[in-house]
Amino acid sequence: MSQYISKQDLLSWLGKLRESHRLAAPVRVDDLVLFKKVERVEDIALDFDNTTLSPKEFFFPPTETLFYADRKDGQVELVPAEVTEETVIFGIRPCDAKGIATLDLPYMEEPGDALYQQHRDRTTLIGLSCIKACPECFCTSMGSGPDDASNVDIMLTEAGEGYIVQVLTDKGKAIAPQLAEKDVQAPPAPAVTPVPSEGISEKMREAFDDPYWGRLADRCLHCSMCSYVCPTCYCFDIRDYNENGRANRVRSWESCQSPGFTKIAGGHDPRADKGIRLRQRFGHKLLYFPEHFGTMHCIGCGRCVRSCPVNIDIREIIQDVQKLGAQK
Amino acid sequence: MIEEIRTKARELLESGTVDCVIGYERATDGINARPLFVYDAAGADRLIFDQTCTHNLVKYLRNRKDKVTGIVVKGCDSRAVNLLISEHQIEREKAYIIGVVCPGIVETGWNKKSDKLRDICQVCRQHTPVVYDFLVGEPPASEPEVEPYPDVAAMEAKTPAEREDFWREQSSRCIRCYACRQVCPGCYCSECFVERLDPLWVGIRIAPKENEMWNSMRAFHLTGRCIGCNQCERVCPMNIPLSLLNRKLEKEVAETFHFQAGMDAETPAPFATFEKDEKIGIGE
Repeated sequence: MSQYISKQDLLSWLGKLRESHRLAAPVRVDDLVLFKKVERVEDIALDFDNTTLSPKEFFFPPTETLFYADRKDGQVELVPAEVTEETVIFGIRPCDAKGIATLDLPYMEEPGDALYQQHRDRTTLIGLSCIKACPECFCTSMGSGPDDASNVDIMLTEAGEGYIVQVLTDKGKAIAPQLAEKDVQAPPAPAVTPVPSEGISEKMREAFDDPYWGRLADRCLHCSMCSYVCPTCYCFDIRDYNENGRANRVRSWESCQSPGFTKIAGGHDPRADKGIRLRQRFGHKLLYFPEHFGTMHCIGCGRCVRSCPVNIDIREIIQDVQKLGAQK
Repeated sequence: MIEEIRTKARELLESGTVDCVIGYERATDGINARPLFVYDAAGADRLIFDQTCTHNLVKYLRNRKDKVTGIVVKGCDSRAVNLLISEHQIEREKAYIIGVVCPGIVETGWNKKSDKLRDICQVCRQHTPVVYDFLVGEPPASEPEVEPYPDVAAMEAKTPAEREDFWREQSSRCIRCYACRQVCPGCYCSECFVERLDPLWVGIRIAPKENEMWNSMRAFHLTGRCIGCNQCERVCPMNIPLSLLNRKLEKEVAETFHFQAGMDAETPAPFATFEKDEKIGIGE
């Protein structure tokens, strides 16, 4: 027996949640599927592969004010930004939920990012298992899987005309709907094409000085797309603005692939070389982050594979790097 | 066609005429194409050409200024060669151009392609490259007579308020990944205006106002320079119809100055010249 909700009851439950929370869910916009604040539950896409952008924007927004500075009676007063809205995100795929757990590691490591923590505390995650695997996905090679429920508050799995529901945390309990008991089986998890990720960190270390990176970077355009569609990339730039006499400290997404990312005072750029710049992305994903945090900095969602304008494919890179040592 | 390209590439590499040939190979989805840099004759066997070869490879020539490079170019791409020569960014002698008579590029996406030509290819007037050292394919006797700007005309027919709404919505999606800039053969400023701190033209905020500024300034900076390869629009992860802005400006320049960028490397571009008796102002 499983806890079960029909499709119609699911929509009316989400409709109710929308009244008490900011409800975000996958919505079709032209040819894209984006997490959007839901205006009408009928707009929610239930039959999507995965969203164009990951849900990281709810925890690490593209642009966010960190604090304001006011001048009062000759004194400068700092006013921290606050997250006040309670958010529910519906339709998070297991890979992206793992992505949020991965984002937690740098942002919640001591001393912790106060604003990130607030976003996390005030957001409840409703996951949606994958019924089919996309050809570019490789979640099972990155410590997750199409039915992995370990990083969400409530997990839904489509079965028949409705969904099997697992309420997994206290946050989940707080918003859980009325559920019926039903004799349904979860469909078998789809087969995901693996990549040879076993031992890749050590291979990456060995490949550090390999000319491979320069050759790979020949075709790289050094846009920031892979970083911005990535659920786990967390770099940002900071700038101060003055608006109507009030200072604003703002952070916005930034990418190690962008030319000038590492440019320092005086104009020197230690990563001006295209190959070294590109190596940084994969080094961070597969070696430096795992060394520091004990887990891969890639969750195998395949977004960078799908989006890259010149087909820089992390699956192919993992395969190539595994073979580099063998040639020597 | 493919065999001719491979043979030529092999010959160029074996004779030492070039040290690299930039062409296309099959992407990892088995459907699309991707850029390929071939450094040895044996690698030439990986080269392909078909209607998925959308990339404008001319972008890469600036990275190899000191070396002679072989490069596969289609009709529209070839205009970028002239643009970069006329703007003193590359030297003609440093490129061995394998021109391809283009059959038109079909609409593609990750792991899929259609039989439908890209909109821009449906109104193409330049199937044969305007500059090349070696031509692959049979050039058509004449280029077709087509109305080149049906999409621009449709946008012009809307009211200013409708257009404003449309572009506001489109720009609000932009994530400022700058793929449109990075892929553009005409975008090569060593410091882009969006990255300048002093003066600060556009802030770093990925937000509607800043995005609008970026999208419109990008297009304006390409006025009379855009060669119409449509790569900006192809690479946009948020599907913003960026080339519509470029094509509007291209149409204005064609009507006002009877100029099309990159058709040759000699004709001075309208915004790079000034004549003494030139009149400036509106309504003259």
